[in-house]
Amino acid sequence: MSETYIWTVVIGMAVANFAVRFPPIAVLSRVALPGWLRRWLSFIPVSVMATLVIGAVARPDGVWLPPAHNPYLLASLATGAIYWRSRSFVGATIAGVLLFVALRAAVG
Amino acid sequence: MPVGAAFGIVARDLGFTPLQAVTCSATALAGAGQFIGLALMKSGATALTVVAATTVVNLRYVLFGAAMSPHVSRVPLGGQAILAFTLTDETFAVNIDDNRRGSADAFSMAGVGAIAWVGWVAGTALGALTAGLIGDPSAWGVQFAMPAMFSALLVAQAEDRRHVVIGAVAAALAILLMLTLPADWYVLVTPVLAATLAAVVYR
Repeated sequence: MSETYIWTVVIGMAVANFAVRFPPIAVLSRVALPGWLRRWLSFIPVSVMATLVIGAVARPDGVWLPPAHNPYLLASLATGAIYWRSRSFVGATIAGVLLFVALRAAVG
Repeated sequence: MPVGAAFGIVARDLGFTPLQAVTCSATALAGAGQFIGLALMKSGATALTVVAATTVVNLRYVLFGAAMSPHVSRVPLGGQAILAFTLTDETFAVNIDDNRRGSADAFSMAGVGAIAWVGWVAGTALGALTAGLIGDPSAWGVQFAMPAMFSALLVAQAEDRRHVVIGAVAAALAILLMLTLPADWYVLVTPVLAATLAAVVYR
């Protein structure tokens, strides 16, 4: 993998990321949003997170895994439960990774 | 921070220098987008494809930015640029939660962003510099760091019954769309459909 290739990707990602983040904040914060749009926006976070979790655990590395033999899915459920009890992102993430390693050995 | 370390380790494994891995985290601050970029680079995609794909995955930040906009309407443009730069899945989840409780202002949100940036960059540096010492990264479950964090962030968004229901609807829709849409388009289409359904049903 060449130096130029990696640097091109790094710079391209930096530019692209700011380009998708800044304009919506700059423009939409200057206009009054109608009620229905605010309501729509309030459901975006939970919908995005649910989508990302499913994408990461149902088809890790592009391969569908059966639920009972899917350490990603089982560890994800456990991580969510740990966060629910502890309210600690870092604690739940570390506990989740440890559980994942154990579950992968047990069912994966 | 643990997820940043995971990125540093995986990037080094792929041929990044520590400087490249840290620069990428410091300037892109893209979480899942960075991991997906690495996966595509590993499979030999062109630089343009990698940047385009991470942009599609990160189009959710358009939605996040829109959701944040009512809370930052009194922040000047320069401040909004800083908040936009530090807008990630984690800072968004925390700031939206703080706004809901009424305990957020421009400085607290900038503080959340600064902490997230330092944690992500320091984590990447730690991972990139120690990558050679730990052997095979997958033995340590490094690939689950990102899904683990997302699982916690999802639970953090479940503020009431309606949000739990829509989370479940989005999960089911995501599976359906992963099976039917090309590439990673489900990442963008699923939340738009689920939130639209929610806005229609919960008036």
